[in-house]
Amino acid sequence: MASVKRWVVVGLVACLGLALAYLPPRGAESSGKSPFVGQSLQATHARQYAQALAEKWRNADAAVRLLEDRQRVKRDSLRASPTIVFRGATLPPNAIRDIETVMDSVWRALGLGETKVRVTLVIELQRPGSVDTPTPLQDRVAYLTPDTTDRTTCMASLPAGPYWTLFILGKREARPEEFVRFAQWLQAGLGPCAFYAAYGTPGRSVRSWLAARHWDLGRYLGSHGIAGERFTSLDLNLMGDPRFPWYWDGVYSLPPATVACLAGRPSGCRAAVLAGAAEEWTIPIPNVVLIERRWWQTQRLLPGERYLGDVARAVGRDRFLDFWTSAQPVEMALAAALKRPVGEWTADWERGFVRPIRLGPTPPLGAAVIALAIAVLVLTVVAATASRRQVR
Amino acid sequence: MRTVATVLLAIVALPALLFGQRWEQQVQGRLARAIDVMQTSSRLSVVKRSGMLNTDEGASLQTPLVEGESYAILAVCDDDCTRLQLTLLSSSGSDIAKERNSESFPTLRFTAARTAVYGIRVVMEGCRWNPCWYAIAVVPLRKTPS
Repeated sequence: MASVKRWVVVGLVACLGLALAYLPPRGAESSGKSPFVGQSLQATHARQYAQALAEKWRNADAAVRLLEDRQRVKRDSLRASPTIVFRGATLPPNAIRDIETVMDSVWRALGLGETKVRVTLVIELQRPGSVDTPTPLQDRVAYLTPDTTDRTTCMASLPAGPYWTLFILGKREARPEEFVRFAQWLQAGLGPCAFYAAYGTPGRSVRSWLAARHWDLGRYLGSHGIAGERFTSLDLNLMGDPRFPWYWDGVYSLPPATVACLAGRPSGCRAAVLAGAAEEWTIPIPNVVLIERRWWQTQRLLPGERYLGDVARAVGRDRFLDFWTSAQPVEMALAAALKRPVGEWTADWERGFVRPIRLGPTPPLGAAVIALAIAVLVLTVVAATASRRQVR
Repeated sequence: MRTVATVLLAIVALPALLFGQRWEQQVQGRLARAIDVMQTSSRLSVVKRSGMLNTDEGASLQTPLVEGESYAILAVCDDDCTRLQLTLLSSSGSDIAKERNSESFPTLRFTAARTAVYGIRVVMEGCRWNPCWYAIAVVPLRKTPS
């Protein structure tokens, strides 16, 4: 009897331990997902409301700041490359000249000269926030498209963060490799504005498609990774080697079409590229495109941020312009430019970055051998036991 | 002295000419040449307008036209424009004439039946690199001797 009581106590203590481990703390509630799947705890309704309100305020604040800057900016008619405006500090003229020189070389590297849509880059140097209002966007890039401005100006608001603020202000040692990284940062910061500059305002169907997906396929016009060769949404989502379990955790956290495309399936690639193309997206005025803080986690195609840049390089300017301004549905226009079905071309493009992953159950060899050995052992024991038993 | 002043003026104006909006200059140049070709009664146009439009976008303007006078309504657009539509509208807003076959250089000739304010509408039907610049002019035509 005493031993039964002891086991009851042990069972209750174990239950309490499990409850402490899995039940959410006070004020938060479970997302309702299985406890065996990794999940983050949701905040209370009040906190969610406050966060949503702060988010709206930040977006509105970003739009207002860009619209104000649009009025203020004076263009330098001598420069074809973007006009740069600094907010948060006054820079000495030689520092501004240095940064403009870097920008000029970035512009030339992108193959851009005089363009119909010009770019104004507002670099937000980091400054302390106010206690009365939410902290302004310090980690997200905002773009004001030419439709909202004078049709010929695309504006980008690029938060410099503490690192680049110190670099720009000359408070950090400027080694040659730092300038290379700074140029990469500037190039990545141009985002959709680089596409507007290179190819003008897209036609209605392409504009609606890209707006529906927050420009995830047109974030980077360059031919390298967004900040160096090994910094793409592919490398950030799928770290390590397929032999490690966390690689597969990364794979299966992605949308099904993205995973299918990684496996080299044209149907998956087609779905990943054309998501949002079927719906008629209403483009708001002012049209502010906000790039999310962890943008690589929301990519539907890896590395989708360079997809349209690669398409443009592959098909050439004329064919890409035909697609970009086409009145046809996106799939038809893109297939016409690629001269191939979208899914097939994209699957080949994907293979250029990652070897197609193998989907479906693939038990490790060691585990399969051990399981088979156990099964054989059990069968042997059962057979031996059965052979000794006699029915009378 | 005059030569020096001209050279100085050219040096000052050069960057603006070189780095200004070349598409704007392109359409203004085309419009000026088109007006030169017309048998106009005056080099001064009744109305002139320029701007830029994306594909499928349109712009309108109004102009007073005098009864019995003949006018040429000219529209031009830049090199990237493939089709521009030009429409003349009555004061009530109904179409009087439409030109959409001349691709990037539509022209309408019109003799006003009565003095009124007429409308002109341009639609950028094809532009390979948005936005495309356009310019419109309404010029009175010289009366042909009867």
